[in-house]
This record gives sequence, structure tokens and C-alpha cells, in this order.
Amino acid sequence: MTKQQALNRLVLGLSIPLFLGLWEAVSRSGSVNSVLFPPPTLVAVALYNWAIDGSLLIDIMMSISRVVVGFVTGAAAGIVLGILTGRYQILSNLLSPVFQLLRPIPPIAFVPIVILWFGLSELGKWFLVFWGVFFTVWIAAHLGVQRVDKTLIRAAQCLGTPEKRMLQEVLLPGALPYIFVGLRTSISISFYTLVAAELAGTFSGIAYRIEIAQQNLQVGQTIGGLIVLGIISAVADKVFGLLSHRVVWWG
Amino acid sequence: MSLNEPSSRTLPANSKPISFTSSHTSVKKVADGVATEGYINIQDLSIVFGKGKNSFVAVERISLEIPPGQFVCLVGPSGCGKSTVLSAIAGFVAPTYGTIQVDGRVVRKPAGERGMVFQQPSLFPWKTVLGNVAHGPLMSGKSKVESHRLAREFLQMVGLANFADSYPATLSGGMQQRVAIARALANFPRVLLMDEPFGALDAQTRIMMQENLLKLWEELRTTVVFVTHDIDEAIFLGDRVVIMSANPGCILADLPICLSQPRNPEVLIEPAFANLKKDCFELIRRESLLAFEQQSRRSSKIQRHR
Ligand SMILES: Nc1ncnc2c1ncn2[C@@H]1O[C@H](COP(=O)(O)OP(=O)(O)OP(=O)(O)O)[C@@H](O)[C@H]1O
Ligand SMILES: [Mg+2]
Repeated sequence: MTKQQALNRLVLGLSIPLFLGLWEAVSRSGSVNSVLFPPPTLVAVALYNWAIDGSLLIDIMMSISRVVVGFVTGAAAGIVLGILTGRYQILSNLLSPVFQLLRPIPPIAFVPIVILWFGLSELGKWFLVFWGVFFTVWIAAHLGVQRVDKTLIRAAQCLGTPEKRMLQEVLLPGALPYIFVGLRTSISISFYTLVAAELAGTFSGIAYRIEIAQQNLQVGQTIGGLIVLGIISAVADKVFGLLSHRVVWWG
Repeated sequence: MSLNEPSSRTLPANSKPISFTSSHTSVKKVADGVATEGYINIQDLSIVFGKGKNSFVAVERISLEIPPGQFVCLVGPSGCGKSTVLSAIAGFVAPTYGTIQVDGRVVRKPAGERGMVFQQPSLFPWKTVLGNVAHGPLMSGKSKVESHRLAREFLQMVGLANFADSYPATLSGGMQQRVAIARALANFPRVLLMDEPFGALDAQTRIMMQENLLKLWEELRTTVVFVTHDIDEAIFLGDRVVIMSANPGCILADLPICLSQPRNPEVLIEPAFANLKKDCFELIRRESLLAFEQQSRRSSKIQRHR
């Protein structure tokens, strides 16, 4: 390792500690209101208190379960319909105009009507996340199928691939790289709709706890919640990135 | 031109000789070197793209009969409709007029009996080399074990047995194209259609690929329609060279190639080769001029009609 590389490593390792140190210093310097801007040590204490009574785990599980249910259903529906509309012009003509109309509406804008429809139930949360994920995955799968190399399709045809196996043999694997890009984008979308869904009213979850803590002026827990949310979605993105490299190794 | 020339082969220094084991009996379609399948009959084929004012005649009244097992090279200037003719035989493009039959059956859509090798290897990137070659046999209903056995045999024939488990992206362009050839052949097509398959390769690799292809063809005797715009390549490979005119594509000349068999690179320096090449060039030149005059006459007639 050259000197330059060693230095780069060192700076990388120092990045977060330096940030926390600066934050601690500013917060304790007296130049800001330390109730509204608590130092990281106090945030850590708040997180610890949140964790020991077991509610942190419950909140995390509730939030993750909402993301998982909404993401999986939204992604599954998006992939299936995207492949169908990408493949069959008649289905595309039937569905694409409607989807293109609904797609640009920010999912958060559906919060009020979702509360009317589903109240504060879990169904409403799932629906919002589903809504956020579905359109992104649908358009990715739709375009993915259409962008499959035409020569590959021809090659498969003159190798005797029957029409009904074309989907499985060529179109799906051909579209997979696009679909995975759509899925990865949808992960961050699903966390962002989750927050909107939980803020709108519920009884558990990270974003819910952030809001409650804010109302009680427990700023330490509020910031702690943000950090937990950040870590969860960063881990989800990382895991998904690794997964997609395994599934779409050629892409 | 004697038929019993010594078969010593002078290979380019960097090319690996391709090993042929004698265990290909199952692969051999014909024992006595006489093919019985793969008779192509093209009658009055015209292909028009588009409609009305924007219509474009890509191929005009081509008739061509290719007996089973023949190696035909189709040459002509860029844009003359070579790929279009091939696509029509494959079943990708429907004839606007005329018919195409293979072994008496009218071609309506692509099928495994008409294999194709494209200018780009077009391998399935998500499948291994073996998986690519086994695709055809699998699709025709063979068992996985049988398909893989066949695929290994054909990979052996193109000298890539050791790369069975690699993915296409890790292979060079020439190797990928050999896989594509093995993949098309593993399906035992009646007809092998090749659209400038070596066009993207460097000269050295090209020569090696040409020899490999001839070896395969001598063993399998599949009917081959090979598109190229390299006259040397056409004469070296073909039993017969069909020359097409510039747009609208029609047949200018149909030359039998009587060079020593089996072909090896030494024919390239035979005087007969040079003579054939000269004939071809002259034909192309004369007929092109003729076609050009006809065309300009026709277009002026059309203009007068308007
Ligand atoms: N789908 C299509 N629609 C309209 N025109 C087409 C289509 N396919 C081909 N053509 C036209 O038909 C003509 C013949 O094309 P083709 O690809 O068969 O030529 P080619 O002889 O293979 O040329 P090259 O040597 O460059 O590959 C070209 O002028 C081309 O623009
Ligand atoms: Mg072409």
C-alpha cells in the first residue's frame, strides 16, 4: 500500500467519527439550543432507552413488515403486468394509458383518501407502499421486455423455441437487468411512502415514534429515529445491490 | 484441380488446429457424404417494405434452387437485399410475392429446421456456453442429458469443449461466433443460414473460422446459404456463388465453383482461384453497369408516368 492509499484509508475511517465529534462540539458549545440540537451522546442514550423497553424492536418490525408487504406485492404485480404489456400490444393499449396517468401522482398525495378508505389499518400502509412501488417496477419491466435484443429473439426462434416458452427463455431473462434497476429504485420509494403512511396515523413504527417524540419534545429520540431509518434503508439497498449482482450477473 | 491432393494444411501461426475425433457417428447425418435434406426452392421472390408511396422494393423476382447439401454463397453490394433474402428463408420476413419452400414445405415462420448465424454472435448472455448450444435440442424436446451430450459434442467440433461452463461475455468475438455456429448446428437444421458471420472478425481469425466451417460442413453436409460481400470468402467457401445486383436486389449471376475438394487455404493461390475471382469481378462490373442503365431507364419511365 502506498502512502497515498494509506492516507485515503485513514480519512475514510475518520469520516463518521469526525462528523460525530463536530456535532458533539457544536451542540455542547452553547452557541445552539442543546434541547433542540442534542449531541450524539444524548441521542445514543435516547436510542438505548427506546431499545431496552422493547419498543424499538417492535417499531422496527412494524415498519419493515409494511415495507416488505407493500414492496413484494407491488413488485410482483409490476413485473407480471409489465411483462404482459411489454409483450402484448393489445394489453399495452388497454392498460398503459391508465398507468401513465396514475404514475406521475406522488404516492403521498393518496394519504388522505387512503385514510378514508382504510382508516388507520395496516391495509392502508400496505396500499401506499404498493402504490409507490408498482408503477416504477411496471414501467421498468415494460420497457425491459421491449428492449430485449431483437436478434436474441430471432436467434431463439430459429432454434425452435416455441412461442409459449419465449417468455421464460428469452424475454424474462432479457428484461431482468432493467427490472432490477426498477426494483432497486423502488426500495427507496417504499421507505419514503412508508414515512408518509406512518405520519398519517398509526400506533407503531419508526416514523410514528419520530412524530410522537417530536410532540413530547424528546428531540434525542426524534433524531435517533432518523438514524435508525437511515440505517435500515441503507442496509436494504446494500443487500438488494448484492442480490441483484447475483441474479443478473451478466447485466 | 485434382481431387486427391494431399490434405496437408497450412494454418496461420496463431490458430489452433481443430481436433476432430472419430466418435461423431451420432452427429453425422449422412454416412456417404450425400445429403438428402435441405432442398431450398425460391420462386419469383419479391419483397417490398412499406406501403404506397413509401414502399421500397428490397428484393425483386429472385428464383433460386439449392439442392440438398450445397454450400451457396450470396454476394452483392451493401443494401442489395442479401439479409432480406436470408430473413425470408428463415421466416422472419414474409415474401410479398413468390414462394419459398424447404423440402417441399412452404416457409411461413421461423423454425428449428432453418438455423441461422448472425453477424453478431447473439448468444444468450445468461446461459453458459453449454447452455447456449444445448438450447436447440432442449426446445425440440430432447432430454437434458441428451441435449448436453450433443452440445458437448458440437463444442468439441468447434474446438471449444474446454469452455463449456464459461459465460459468453468471457469469450473473444471469434470464440463466441464458433459457439453460435455450434448452437445452430446442434439443432440438426436442414438449412444453415449465415449472414456475414465472420464480418466482424480480424483477418487471421476469419481464415481459421472459414476452415473450421468447411470442416464442419464436410462432416454434416447441411445446406448452407452464406451471405458475404467478400468475394474471396465466397469463392473459397462456396460450391456456388450467387451474385446479386444493387437495389432492387435481383440475381446477376450464378457461378459454379470448381475448385479442389476438400478446400484448404492453398486454393487461394491456385490460378483457378484467381481466374474465378476475375470472372466474378468482371461479371459484377458488367452486370452492374447493365442494371444501372436499366434502373435509370426505369426510373425515368416512372418519372414520366407521374
Ligand atoms: N424492415 C425494413 N423496412 C424497410 N426497409 C428495409 C427493411 N429491412 C431492410 N430494408 C431495406 O432493404 C434493403 C436491403 O436490405 P438488406 O439488409 O437486405 O441489405 P444487405 O444486402 O444485407 O446489406 P448489407 O450488406 O449492408 O448487410 C436496404 O436498402 C434496407 O434499407
Ligand atoms: Mg445484411
